[in-house]
Formats: sequence, structure tokens, C-alpha cells
Amino acid sequence: MDYDNGEKDFINIVGFACTYCAFKASEMAGSLRLKYPEGVKVIQVPCSSRVDPAFVIKAIFEGADGVFVAGCHPGDCHFIRGNYFTRRRIFALKEMFDAFSMRGKVRLFWTSAAEARKFVEKVTKMYEDLKEGKNEG
Amino acid sequence: MKTGIFICHCGHNIKHTVDVKALSEYFKSIPNVYISTDYSFVCSEPGQDLIRKSIEKYKLDRVIVASCTPSLHGDLFKDLLKKSGLNPFFLRRVSIREHCSWVGDDIKKNTEKAKKLILGGLFSVVHNVPLEEKVVDVDKSAVIIGGGIAGLSAACFLSRMGISVHVIEKEKELGGHVKLLKKVWPSGRSGREIIGEMVSELEGRDNVKIYTDARVESLEGYFGNYVMRISVGGDKEIYLKAGGIIVATGFTPFDPSIKPELSYGKDKRILTTLDIERGLDEIELPQAPKVAILHCVGSRDESIGKSYCSRVCCINALRAAQTIKEKYPEAYVECFYMDVRAHPKGGEEYYEEIQKMGVLFTRGVVAEIVPKEKALLVRGEDTLLSEVFEKEFDLVILSIGMSSEIGNRRISQLLKVSLDRDGFFLEAHIKLRPFDTAVKGIFIAGCCSGPKDVEESINQGRASALKLFGMLNKGYTFLEPFIADVSEKRCSGCRMCEMVCVANAIRYEAIKKVAKVEEAQCMGCGLCSATCPSSAITLKGYSDTQICDEISGLLWRE
Repeated sequence: MDYDNGEKDFINIVGFACTYCAFKASEMAGSLRLKYPEGVKVIQVPCSSRVDPAFVIKAIFEGADGVFVAGCHPGDCHFIRGNYFTRRRIFALKEMFDAFSMRGKVRLFWTSAAEARKFVEKVTKMYEDLKEGKNEG
Repeated sequence: MKTGIFICHCGHNIKHTVDVKALSEYFKSIPNVYISTDYSFVCSEPGQDLIRKSIEKYKLDRVIVASCTPSLHGDLFKDLLKKSGLNPFFLRRVSIREHCSWVGDDIKKNTEKAKKLILGGLFSVVHNVPLEEKVVDVDKSAVIIGGGIAGLSAACFLSRMGISVHVIEKEKELGGHVKLLKKVWPSGRSGREIIGEMVSELEGRDNVKIYTDARVESLEGYFGNYVMRISVGGDKEIYLKAGGIIVATGFTPFDPSIKPELSYGKDKRILTTLDIERGLDEIELPQAPKVAILHCVGSRDESIGKSYCSRVCCINALRAAQTIKEKYPEAYVECFYMDVRAHPKGGEEYYEEIQKMGVLFTRGVVAEIVPKEKALLVRGEDTLLSEVFEKEFDLVILSIGMSSEIGNRRISQLLKVSLDRDGFFLEAHIKLRPFDTAVKGIFIAGCCSGPKDVEESINQGRASALKLFGMLNKGYTFLEPFIADVSEKRCSGCRMCEMVCVANAIRYEAIKKVAKVEEAQCMGCGLCSATCPSSAITLKGYSDTQICDEISGLLWRE
């Protein structure tokens, strides 16, 4: 069963998705039977602003090839301004990652609860890019 | 710690792409897992029985249900734990359907993913702590901001049900824009009459207080216990205690002088549909006047940043046409429209009726109105014929749309309720929660959340009143247990959490030099927790250790 241990091109992505938008979108992606790579695993957080940069670093340390943070569109945050803080925080983190040539390992995107397709597109793109070794933000 | 893992087949939904048997076998080998089993439908009666009996038999203190997404059947499993004498927050749901079996086809890969997901759940549930849903009293009173038709109908409803109501109106008289309407379509009754009925109903009640010429100054507290400071008449200050708030600030009619090409205000023969309400007596018109009516002035117009449809102005334009035709049966009336959206019930029939009266409808965009001495020159394009036209009229009526109330921004900042990009109040969910705002206990009614007609405003006022009543009447409220918690030992008193908190739920205790969370006010976003440089704040239910260990579980390697 442990096929991904030792398998070189298996990509592990950990994602943080806010309860109100991105996690809802990921649920909807499932209901619509949209497909995305198995390496993508989602953690539910109340708001994207709950994501401490330490969590992202922790995931990288534990062996994740990439981490994404997904939240509501700016202005749509259930907690009014939470995602603005996320935006700044992840931007700062990206700058830091850049210094280690790891910019592509962390991504931030917005999806509304209705944008299941966008969610799938974003995570699949990230998966493909990481697989090809592209280091894009 | 004794954990039980229950893996659901969900019929074929999970089973056909995840090897559930192998999964349950695997988890049997993990220490502290006392029971690991798979079942066809864990949410069914026998499935629930299985969990209940297992809790009893193995004295489980952590339960993992790997099944559909946590937002489904959430309360069902929580209640099950409660009945078994366990704190419901010792439950962990792992989504292996929406997030695993439905999004991948490969059984081997899916099983592996499900394993990691359950491991994540298993690692994080270890850190779950018993949480209590706290009970706080609710004050059975409400403040209604705005004394227009929506606010008044909410006030009537709430006061009838025994809630004490405070109505705050910024003008000297109640009634908003509706009191200006001569005939409210389709009933034909005058706006003043409708408002008058409501006001006299309210004035007869002891539990209603009306403050006119008043303005909201500040708001503190949380659902059930708000304190609002208002100023009346510019000098007197009053503090109002309220359980909940209904915002019914209404709208501002669009000011056509923003579009200088329409020459509004430069010539008294150019009027708005609202001016027409005051009567046609002031203007001199010939026996058979030529009248143009322009639809969509201040609506569906990207150039002035108003791309939305104001919904009521088509009917208003039709009403204006009727008014003209009734007074001057010989009149030549031509409407220039984009589409006619006669939206409420009976609107389409009314549109037909007006057409039969001899009113002409031309699909076209008016570019310019040039006032001449004898007539008004209207220039535009007929979009069906693709031709430019130039016509002369004696009177031009602009069917103006609704803009957001200018005061909305101030109210939104005081109440911490968001506005949309057009300046209207934002619903918590446009379809599922159209009366709620993101803030608990604050509701919206009427045109403050977007253009509405009289009927819709009345209904929304009542709906908001009913929703608020449901919350107030209980007399108490449960607070979500997922709130921030400060460890006083670790807190350095830097006050960064206080700065970022959106809900205004963090107070600084100057004596102890630590931050304190106002439990009832905390919305539980976790922003403070991620901000705190000393990791002194944790969000209950989503603590750092829970999330970090979930990450470890998801990325576990043998």
C-alpha cells in the first residue's frame, strides 16, 4: 500500500482551505466528480487567515512538495477582512521562500464557494508545475 | 486514549474507488486504536448503533468517522456522542468521499490518500479538548435603523410579537421614500396612507419607541447584548440596549445631474419619475403633449459604475406613462428602453396594458437632451434599426434607478457589516441567507441591500423581523466554542492581536498586561492566533498542535 514512499515523481501537496469559500468549493468539486491528482490533500481551516506561515514551513519540512492556501475572494471574506491579512502574510512568506529558490512551493489563490472548477484547475496546475520542476509563484 | 475508527462505504460511493477493507485492517495495527471497522452506511440507524455500542464496549474517548464531508450529518454524529456521554468535540470527521473517492479513479492511489487523510484526523483528534457551548442571556429588544417601509414593517412585526423595539430615523418624519409615492403599484393606494397605517399601529404600542432626527453614533457589544449610542436632534445622547439590530437604511435616488448630457436641472421640462410624484400641475403642457420617457437612467450603466438593474424603474416608467395618458389622453408618449423588465407579479400584464393605451416603445439609447426654446431635442440611437434619431418633445421624464444610501458606509463601519461594491449591504449568502449579515444578530431589510420594490421591502422587513425574533425569543444563545483563547503565561502584551481583530473581540488588560478575548464577540477566524508572535493565542478546535499534527498525518511515511 505504501506506493508513494520511494516513488520519485509522486507529488505531495497540502492545502489549507477556508470553511466558507475554498473548502466549500473543494466539496463541490467532489460532488461534481471533478478529478484532481491524489497527491492533493486539503486541511479545513475556519478562515485563510488562520494559516500561520509556520504551518506552511512545517508541511515543507514534513516532506510536502508544495503548499497552497485558498480563501474567499478579496472583499468576500466571511470574517470581513481576514483574507487581506492572508494575502500580505503569504506574500511575505513567498519572498522568504524566494531566497531559497522555493517560490513555487507556496501558492495562494481565491475561489468562491461556487468555483469548484477553478479550485480543480488551480490545484491541478500547481501539481503539474511542481512535477515539471517549474519554480513559479 | 482510546480511539475508534469507523469507515463508511457510503454504498458504492466510497467503496468502489477506495479499498475500505484494507483501510480498516491497517488501522487495527495502530496503537490506541481500539476498534477500526468499516460499515456500509455509518449514518444509518444500525451504523449509529455500531458507534454507540463500540463507545460503550471499549470506553472510547475519541471517535473518527471517515465518510462524507464534515458539513453533512455534522449534528447527527455530535448528538450521537452526546447521547453516549462523550463531549461532542471528541468527534473527528474525515472526508474520504468528496475529497477522495469522488475526485480520483485509481483504487490504489485513492486508498493511500484515504489512509493519509484518516491518519491526519487521527493525529489531530488526539489534541481535541472537550469544548462547551456557552450560554448567554439575550435581551428581548431590537433596534431598527431606518424608518422607511422595510424598517416600519419589521417594527410592526417585532412589536406585535412582544419584542421592545427602537426605531431610529434620520429624517424628521417616518416613511422614507414611500411616503412620497402617490399611487403604489399595483394596489393604487397612496404611500402616505400605507405608512400612516403602520405608524399609527406603532404609536399605539408601549413597547415601541421612535426616534426621529436621530443618528447612530456607536455600537458596542454582541448578539443579545448590544449597546447603541444615538444622538437625537443633534445634541441629546441616548444609549439603547438591544438584543439584535435590523438595518433598513433604504436607498438614495439616482441623481441624473451626474450625467450632464441629460441636462437635468437645467430645464424644468426635464423631470425624474420621483418629481412626477409631486404632480404635473407645475408644468404647462399643450393639449396633446409629446412626452419622452427614458428608462435605465442610473442603472445598467457601466460608464457611471452602476452595472446593476434597479428593478423598480421599468414599472415606474410605465406608471409615469399612465399618469400622462390619464391626464392628457391625446398625448404622444414614447419610451426609450434597453429591455423592459416589468418584474413583479402582474408587471408583464401591466406593460401590455400600457402598450394598448397607445404608448410607444422604442428600443434605443438616448445620448443627449438639448433644451431648445420651444421643445426638447432628444438625440439617440434606435438599436433595432441601427439608426440615429433626433426628435422633439415637450417633456422628458427620466426613470431613475436606485443608488446606495450615502450613509451606508458610516453605518457599515460602526456595525462592522460589509458592503458590496455598489455600496449596498452584503448578505451573508445571496440565496441561502439573504436577510442575514456576516455578524450574528444583525439583519438587513429593504433597499439597503439592493434595489427592491415596496412589496419586497415589506416582505424583507417581516422576514428579518421573524428571523431576529426566532433568535431573541429563545432568551439565550449558544456561543460557538471555536473561539480564541489567550494563554496569559505566554502573552507578552504586544497588542498585535487587538490591532488585527476584525470582530473587536480582544481587549487589553492594562493591569495584567495581557490580552483578553471577549468570548461572546469572537467570531473564531483564528487571525489573532496566526498573528501572535509568542503563540499565546490558540483557536479552540483549530489549535496549532491540531493543525501541525494533521499535517504530519497527511505526510506520514512508514
